[in-house]
Amino acid sequence: MPLDVPSYSFALPEGVEPPTLVSFLAERFDIVAEPGAPLTYAVVDTADRRLRAAGLDLALELGRNERTLVLRERGSAGPVSARAGRRKRWLVGDLPAGPMRDRLAPVVEMRALLPLAHVQVDVQSLAVRNADLKTVVRMRLATHAALDTGGSPVPLAPRLGVTGVLGYPKPLARVVAALSTEAGLVDAPAGPADEAIAASGGDPAGVRTKVQVELRPDQRTDKAAVAVLRDLAGMVEANLPGTLADLDTEFLHDLRVAVRRSRTVLRELAGAFPGEPLKQQRDTLKWVQAFTGPTRDLDVQLLEWDHLLSAVPAERHAALAPVRTLLERRRAGALRLLKAELRGPAYRQGWAAYRAFLDGDLGPARERPDAKRPLAEVAGRRIRKVYARMVEMGAAIDADSPADHLHELRKRGKELRYLLELFGGLWPSGVVKPMVRTLKGLQDVLGTHQDREVQSGHLRDLADELATQVGGPPALLVLGVLVDQLDAEQRTARDQFADRFADFAAPRQRKLVARTFVP
Amino acid sequence: MKVVATYNIKGGVGKTSAAVNLAALAARDGLRTLLWDLDPQGAASFLFRVRPKVRGGGRKLVRGRSDVADVLRGTDVEGLDLLPADFSYRHMDLVLDESGKPTRRLRKVLAPLGEHYDLAVLDCPPSISLVSESVFDAADALLVPLIPSTLTLRTFEQLADFVDAEVDRQPDIVAFFSMVDQRKRLHREVVETLPDGRDDIVATAIPAATEVELMGVERSPVVVHAPRSRAARAYADLWAELRARLDV
Repeated sequence: MPLDVPSYSFALPEGVEPPTLVSFLAERFDIVAEPGAPLTYAVVDTADRRLRAAGLDLALELGRNERTLVLRERGSAGPVSARAGRRKRWLVGDLPAGPMRDRLAPVVEMRALLPLAHVQVDVQSLAVRNADLKTVVRMRLATHAALDTGGSPVPLAPRLGVTGVLGYPKPLARVVAALSTEAGLVDAPAGPADEAIAASGGDPAGVRTKVQVELRPDQRTDKAAVAVLRDLAGMVEANLPGTLADLDTEFLHDLRVAVRRSRTVLRELAGAFPGEPLKQQRDTLKWVQAFTGPTRDLDVQLLEWDHLLSAVPAERHAALAPVRTLLERRRAGALRLLKAELRGPAYRQGWAAYRAFLDGDLGPARERPDAKRPLAEVAGRRIRKVYARMVEMGAAIDADSPADHLHELRKRGKELRYLLELFGGLWPSGVVKPMVRTLKGLQDVLGTHQDREVQSGHLRDLADELATQVGGPPALLVLGVLVDQLDAEQRTARDQFADRFADFAAPRQRKLVARTFVP
Repeated sequence: MKVVATYNIKGGVGKTSAAVNLAALAARDGLRTLLWDLDPQGAASFLFRVRPKVRGGGRKLVRGRSDVADVLRGTDVEGLDLLPADFSYRHMDLVLDESGKPTRRLRKVLAPLGEHYDLAVLDCPPSISLVSESVFDAADALLVPLIPSTLTLRTFEQLADFVDAEVDRQPDIVAFFSMVDQRKRLHREVVETLPDGRDDIVATAIPAATEVELMGVERSPVVVHAPRSRAARAYADLWAELRARLDV
């Protein structure tokens, strides 16, 4: 049973000032206008704009004495508020328990909610009344200004929100017709949040994780590779401040993914680049990947902590508090080293050199055999080869194979996955999609296998230190259960490997790969 | 959706005032709120400037032959919608009597609204009849205004006994003192002594106040047109107590 009340959002065209619009409305309707209420608020979202994608608007309203988070859901009833406290960012656990946290938790997950732009707004409420002096249409006329990085206001287009009142559709239709036909107002494509973020120098789409470069099959490989690498370098840079400020775990994760994807491009399309400079850049990126690894490993372990606890009866959870404290302490130590590296001269110089490499002259094409070759030919050849190599490696894995063999296969799988993510669009999706799906299935079990290996190792490493802590001995007893759980999950992953690999290396898929990615 | 009904067998005890003010406060708190004006006199509808008319008539609505969504009206309080009164509600007893399972009819009318509202407030006519029995069946809580007097407790206990004996689905029965005149000794004494540790009479008492009487002139709840008045503050306290009991 629908009870939706239509609502509209109009942007005032240039030259139409709010007072003019109010006069226009007053000439045609019985209008009650309430005085404007100035308000300063911050647009709050995750760095990758998850709330925006979910149709949610979160604002941090800055009152004289209190700061309030106000959540509005497009197409839903009134806003939900919660006390914000004095924080620079909110993880889900920082929000007070209640409807706001319940609504946001599955959307935000492990990401931090951050103020992305500051806005000054003056909102005037207008009500259209009928002959009984009853409100039949509501309007909010908002004059916004975003604050730029220096704190100076940048005016945004004024907006008029028009909302009907349930059971009174005709007056709403008359108001909307007058506004759009007579006053020439146009639909406001998006909320003021996007405009405010853009005015503050940000990207309304948020920090991207997907490469946005238009590629053609016949494009020169070196040009295409450089374009992709520049986009990825931008992602590394975009995630650097959040990583250094440790706002949430995903800045580091996304930074590392961008680095790893870049390494894949440099490795798999190596023939498009000059030999010696290429080696230097690959070494730089490898080093970045290495020194950021320990923090990420511990992040994964802490993110999966609740899952891990599920293996232990609830009454024993408290005994594990020292384990978590130790993991957090180790993570803090790893992060300190990571920050020191990222802020140090080696990184600064290494990254500057990498950027110069991407922006500079790559040298004569004759010394780079794949430079001028069509992208589809070079990337296709690599996809085919990496796939074939994975099939070969996977076929050699049996019940007695060491864990390293699975890890090596997983690393190859990442190469293939990134190749497909970056260049798969050059081939029919009917071929690429099943390949990605079966690869993902395989990578999931290989990932679990490796993560459990690392996590189990971390926990075992804690034992000595734990024994000397207050509450350590009882924790050690329960720790054994956790390690057993991790080992069991690793065994399960290993048991699943054969089936997942069989899907990935199915004869039909092999034929399809051989036929599509022709050398 | 939780359902609260303001009910008393007697008229003029502050049922409608409580219903409109509590519904307005609930909406202000962000609850999606519905107020159903079941009284054929249509006082709540009048206060919200909504014509006391149900398209298709009350009979069709109660018998489930018209779409309840079509007769809802938004009020001047954002987040509060009204299911208006209709003069035909004066025959609602007869309509219910003609229906199968008459005491469950109102609950059935409300059922499809459950996904759209967090709270429904039913403003009931003063009587004890099939209508009130159907209200008792639909309600999670009966909110009973009591004017302090020597017979107050007796009337309230009669109601509680009736609900206990006759109603399958037992609502929480919550009473509050209404139209309390602090100048009257009897009012003061009853309000001070009667609750006496009982958990079915809440602490908040609504004063007899000019602002409440002015609702008919202002045509809005007192919590809207005189939000700082003593009566408005008392309704806010009553809402806080009720909200905690309802867990909404």
